[in-house]
Amino acid sequence: MNWILPREAVVVAVKTETPDTKTLTLRLRNSHERLDFKPGQFNMVGLPGIGEAPITFSSPSGNETFQHTVRAVGRVTRALTALKGSDVLHVRGPFGSGWPEDEAVGKNLLIVAGGMGMVPLRPFLLHVFENRIKFGRIVVLYGARTPDDMLFRDEVTVWAEQADTKVLLTVDEVPVGSTWTGPTGVVTELFDHPGVLLDDALALTCGPELMMRFVVRGLLLRQFPASRIYLSLERRMRCGVAQCGHCQIGPKYVCQDGPVFCYTDLRGWPDTLL
Amino acid sequence: MVEPFAPGILSKEALDARLDALLKEYEIVAPVNRRGQAHFSKIIEISEIEWGYSSSVIPPSKVIYQAEQLLMRFVNQDGSYLVVEQHPPSRQRILLGVHPCDIHGILVLERTLVGRWQDSWYAGERKRSLIIGLNCQNPGPDCFCSSFGTGPFYAPWMGQGPPEGCDLFMTELMSGYLIETFTEAGRRLLEGSELTKPTDSDLVEKDERHKKTLDQFTKHLNTDGLDALLNRHLEHPVWERVGEDRCLSCTNCTMVCPTCYCYDIVDRAQLDLKTILRWRRWDSCQDQHFAEVHFGNFRPSRKARLRQFVCHKLSYWMEQYGCYGCVGCGRCIHWCPTGIDLTEIAAEIRREEIRL
Ligand SMILES: Cc1cc2nc3c(=O)[nH]c(=O)nc-3n(C[C@H](O)[C@H](O)[C@H](O)COP(=O)(O)OP(=O)(O)OC[C@H]3O[C@@H](n4cnc5c(N)ncnc54)[C@H](O)[C@@H]3O)c2cc1C
Ligand code: SF4
Ligand code: SF4
Repeated sequence: MNWILPREAVVVAVKTETPDTKTLTLRLRNSHERLDFKPGQFNMVGLPGIGEAPITFSSPSGNETFQHTVRAVGRVTRALTALKGSDVLHVRGPFGSGWPEDEAVGKNLLIVAGGMGMVPLRPFLLHVFENRIKFGRIVVLYGARTPDDMLFRDEVTVWAEQADTKVLLTVDEVPVGSTWTGPTGVVTELFDHPGVLLDDALALTCGPELMMRFVVRGLLLRQFPASRIYLSLERRMRCGVAQCGHCQIGPKYVCQDGPVFCYTDLRGWPDTLL
Repeated sequence: MVEPFAPGILSKEALDARLDALLKEYEIVAPVNRRGQAHFSKIIEISEIEWGYSSSVIPPSKVIYQAEQLLMRFVNQDGSYLVVEQHPPSRQRILLGVHPCDIHGILVLERTLVGRWQDSWYAGERKRSLIIGLNCQNPGPDCFCSSFGTGPFYAPWMGQGPPEGCDLFMTELMSGYLIETFTEAGRRLLEGSELTKPTDSDLVEKDERHKKTLDQFTKHLNTDGLDALLNRHLEHPVWERVGEDRCLSCTNCTMVCPTCYCYDIVDRAQLDLKTILRWRRWDSCQDQHFAEVHFGNFRPSRKARLRQFVCHKLSYWMEQYGCYGCVGCGRCIHWCPTGIDLTEIAAEIRREEIRL
């Protein structure tokens, strides 16, 4: 099929995650079709007359339904977060590289997420928990602006109870009246907690690019090998297939070579915050 | 009579007669003079063709890859949208008189648009276009294809080139046109024309004309290790100086470049509000909003945008596609209102590196 032609998907359920973020559970309208994807890949999600936006899968592959978690920041994302059950939208994909699933096998994993950055990491973590024995220790560091901006709170609590898993949460600020008792400060401050930086680990990070800058630098400063740091980037995209040109960073197409990159492949190119 | 696919000579009169006949069957798009500039346009008469043109405003690759393309329609049917794909026309047409640099431009552009993912509209427009190339004997002051080897005479370059890229190929000589046939479709275009076998002196004349044309170039670019050179100097002061002092972000350079492919996708509702049209249209890395996202802009400065254009053409392309993204046509230099010249930028960086 021509990659630019969208397919219809039906909204099965809508869950409000935070005041501006919703998770849509979707299924392809044509029940004979399935969407197979890897954690970290994305769809172009859109509505006729409004447009399309690149949106990561927030659920793992292999089910009849799939999920997208969308934060309303502009034209398309506002329209997507306004959808209700049984509404129809358009998807095309999957596109892009995923997290390095094979390389992660047998290693300790350091997951560093900031705000919406947990969205692409969630399907990867769910995959890891489903295949728990294939991986070493898991450390999840998750920072958000305020406690209310933290996504998937119920699930995060469950992850923390898994074997050989450490979950540390932090927020930038605590609004008055909040029940938050955890630490405050940027996510990189959690690096020096005991048991966070392990040998033979792979670091996977996603969040605002400025946050990832500090994550990368914080890790390198602590002798974490650059070739073991993976990050997922956000750029403007119109096609998803390395043609519209918007997402380029030096010779890299974020839509095709990424959005998940090994840090060594991005190092040195201009026009990033890394 | 010459063997099919062997080079042959066609007199000027015989060529005109053949083109006249083809014009009854095909749409022919050729360089014509409009207000002093060569433009690839649909011709009505053979006499309109400007055979000796130097460079056209819009490159032939962008006759194939159009500025605006309707991709699909969404037709509202009880709240759900039917997607109706828009197909390109299939009627064959001829692109006539395409210079070697521009044929290479088409082949470079194709590495993006019909690579791993195919743009079916570009592929369709390309398929219906028969290409008749013409060796260039009139390089302009901004041309530097000879530095790359993409011209002025057609030759293989970076894994592309003859027999790929055109159906027929012509060189103007004293005795008429030396014609090389590269495809079966090209051979059929000439059916019924009397080609004569080129003499040794015809072939010597071709070489001499090639040498004479090479001597006319005034602009040169040292391409030796150019991609690596630029990659070493992504923070060179030339970007800031030229970008901020001179670039107007007018996007001319990207509009006229034969290899620029960037596009935007826009939806427009028709007046009945029941049908929505989704268009693809050229975009430009020189546009201020090109790399903007909701939380900021990754290339907010003209410095960053100019560096993107020049380094993409002369460096990044190599890693992406295994060839340069510039074919030396000189259009971006010619049409830049402030005369920004990527060969001068590259030369300045090289001079400094040698000095250090
Ligand atoms: C690989 C990838 C995965 C992503 N995954 C997710 C996800 O899972 N969930 C999620 O919520 N988001 C995700 N995003 C981000 C999401 O794609 C953007 O938030 C979205 O594209 C914004 O589109 P919009 O139409 O809502 O906003 P727009 O209306 O495009 O507006 C966003 C801003 O962009 C600028 N802008 C856009 N177009 C123009 C223009 N023509 N001229 C000038 N300025 C313009 C403006 O500053 C505007 O405020 C992802 C992005 C990428 C690249
Ligand atoms: S970069 Fe300039 S000289 Fe090179 S092909 Fe494009 S328009 Fe021609
Ligand atoms: S044509 Fe010249 S002024 Fe215009 S955007 Fe290109 S480099 Fe800048």
